[in-house]
Amino acid sequence: MNIRKWLVNLYPRMWRERYGDEFEILLEECLHSPLDALDILFGALDAHLELPYETNWRLMNMINKLRSTILFVFAAYVAFIVAGFSLNGLMDDSQLVPLTRSNPVLSISYATIEIGSVIALLAIMIGGAPLAWTIIRRVFTFQRKDLGLLFVPLASFLVLVGYFFMMVYLAFNTHVLDQPISSTGLALMWGLITIFAAGAIASTIAVWKLISHTDVEQDEFALLGKSATIKLYEFAYRPALIATLSMVVMFVATVVWGWLSYSLRPDLFIGNMGVMMTSTRGSFAFTLIVMTIATVTACLGIIRARSSRI
Amino acid sequence: MNLADFGRFSDPALLILSSLADGPKHGYGMMSDIETMTGVRLGAGTLYGALARLESAELIKAIPSTDRRRPYQLTAKGIAALREQLALLQKLASTGLKRLAEQ
Repeated sequence: MNIRKWLVNLYPRMWRERYGDEFEILLEECLHSPLDALDILFGALDAHLELPYETNWRLMNMINKLRSTILFVFAAYVAFIVAGFSLNGLMDDSQLVPLTRSNPVLSISYATIEIGSVIALLAIMIGGAPLAWTIIRRVFTFQRKDLGLLFVPLASFLVLVGYFFMMVYLAFNTHVLDQPISSTGLALMWGLITIFAAGAIASTIAVWKLISHTDVEQDEFALLGKSATIKLYEFAYRPALIATLSMVVMFVATVVWGWLSYSLRPDLFIGNMGVMMTSTRGSFAFTLIVMTIATVTACLGIIRARSSRI
Repeated sequence: MNLADFGRFSDPALLILSSLADGPKHGYGMMSDIETMTGVRLGAGTLYGALARLESAELIKAIPSTDRRRPYQLTAKGIAALREQLALLQKLASTGLKRLAEQ
């Protein structure tokens, strides 16, 4: 292979298909020095960095920022679910339930958390559905190497469900999960948490990689019998904003709920009534820390998107 | 279309548009013309980097050719963009020269 062909081959395939022939002819006439070769190397690098030729740099920048916003909010939401389970575990079979019911402020703050979680879930589902559909369709049509990534969330969910049913079976047929819970029962419960956490992390990474690998700036959808082209990232931005606002509201409601509950009944925060019989205070602190990190992450994502509007 | 969006290719883009102002040219023709016109010798990588962007922005278009060298010509959008850029440069040059004369 001569040097000209080698230099042309440095460019992306799509670029070569369009400009390869004429570029090679040009090189026959003007490739004279190492500086000329260096210029071509930079040109090839640029061509690799600028993937779709129909878009310009400012638009690319906006798309990248919107994409990372969606990834930030999605990861934050998964973390928020973990915090939600921790909070739910704190309430389970606890005197905090009657206390919350008896006080209007506590009732409202807890109801706010519940309503916020439903709104955030709906927002994530509405914003993510077209994106997920596009990713799934493209993985099955021309990104088959990413099939493995697509099955990570599904496999995680199936393993979690399988483990849960095994625990239900053990609860009904053995005494390992009876109260007071045995060390075997506790180990099984920790196993459930570990599987959930590992699945959540693995699924988040897989979805992150899938979105990063897929050029899903816009896609065609059939809605109510009509075809519509929508810009997926821009479409997902508003639900992401709603999910983030819900997280902020839930975080504030959790702080209010925790602070007021502790003021009224500090004794309920003593002992080991947290998730898996862990320290009650520790469990609530964990909930707040995870919620803080998740809320800040989601807000940073939204700020990043707002800086990209053109 | 603002040529500033072309990043490091904004200057070569203006040179290419100016070179095509008097008619279609292929890559080597543009390179020689630009060198004659301005003394700047564009490398092949820079030339085609700018050319690909100009074509994707629909400021220039390839025209049919019988040989492997493909000529390009300005589109209506390209003519408007070139006119706008040159007017801006003319205004900048006259303001700068006027200020120098006042010193």
